[in-house]
Amino acid sequence: MSQQPSGSGRSNPGDAWTVTGYLLSGLLVWGGVGLLVDRWLHTRLFVLVGLLVGSAAAIYLIYVRYGRP
Amino acid sequence: MKGTLNLVGYGLSAVGPGIGIGLIFAAYINGVARQPESRGVLQPIAFLGFALAEALALFGLVLAFVL
Amino acid sequence: MSALVLAASGDVFNPPTSRDFELPGIGGTFLTKPMLLVILSAILIAVFFFLAARRMALVPGKLQFAGEGVYSFVRNGVGRDVIGPEFRPYVPYLVTLFAFILVNNLFGIIPIAQFPTMSRFGFPVVLAVISWLIFNYIGVRRRGLVGYLKETLFPPGLPLPVYVLVAPIELATILITRPLTLALRLFANMFAGHLLLLVFILGGEHLLVSGGLLTVTSPFAFLLAIVLTFFEALIEVLQAYIFTLLTALYIAGALAAEH
Repeated sequence: MSQQPSGSGRSNPGDAWTVTGYLLSGLLVWGGVGLLVDRWLHTRLFVLVGLLVGSAAAIYLIYVRYGRP
Repeated sequence: MKGTLNLVGYGLSAVGPGIGIGLIFAAYINGVARQPESRGVLQPIAFLGFALAEALALFGLVLAFVL
Repeated sequence: MSALVLAASGDVFNPPTSRDFELPGIGGTFLTKPMLLVILSAILIAVFFFLAARRMALVPGKLQFAGEGVYSFVRNGVGRDVIGPEFRPYVPYLVTLFAFILVNNLFGIIPIAQFPTMSRFGFPVVLAVISWLIFNYIGVRRRGLVGYLKETLFPPGLPLPVYVLVAPIELATILITRPLTLALRLFANMFAGHLLLLVFILGGEHLLVSGGLLTVTSPFAFLLAIVLTFFEALIEVLQAYIFTLLTALYIAGALAAEH
């Protein structure tokens, strides 16, 4: 899957669902990593950190793929 | 009535992103309606705003299950 | 009040749960209603398209016009506009997918069938798995496994530490999230819609039987059930379209060549 030209002419209603999919993946992957680190270190903090990092990385990825003018 | 407080919290937290996404796309539709040529310029901004608002909605969903 | 109404008014309303979706086999066999509905939908679609294409004239008759309408809606609106110049090999799959999901969804509001078969999770899972296999296979066949992974996981032009954050997200997207959200979206919409209709219709019936003040309010429940049936029809068509559109979008993403 490559860089499709962003912006002009690409008005897919399916893009909104793909964006949501990226966000969900980011939350699940890095939230899951945070959960595993929590289980290992017996803390309760890393789930939240993982979720935040995951959502930030997912938003950055969406910006790279869809948001660059 | 059975259930947890998580669900009540999730339901309440879904109001914010709902309104936010509505506002974002209302602005996008307004902008494209006034000047159809601006569609290509406005679309990345609309998607970025949508991603940010949707992230909060998904936070609520995930945390309702995790916590 | 009669004894019947007294007895009925003592009942507690049991709202419909997911148990109500587990229909028993017909006559004790293993064949359940969703299975029969799926087979019926496949037969209906096959017969419709066969009859529509049988005596093809340049000026179409009614059946041919209807068949052409559905076919060209998916072919042009979803295939050509989304996938681009190389859309032809994928049109049969997209048309079949759209027609299958549409007919099965519409069974939810057609009087005798009245059960959306996509509200049993197994059916959307199979469709999502097939779409997932197709778009991954296309990507791998185009550029080889390593090339496909390299192109998907590492979008060009990012600073190096960011790749550590971003690559697992892309991997999870193509492996897990895309098929999962495809299946889950279809299943959740059909399940919730059918449950909503069940609540209003069964609740309206319970109100009707309960007697007294409650019977007066039961027409509102039935009225809402009618309104929701129309809303449900819209959602069903929309979900069929979105499933097909997203499949085409993922195929387009896998096809697009990177230079």
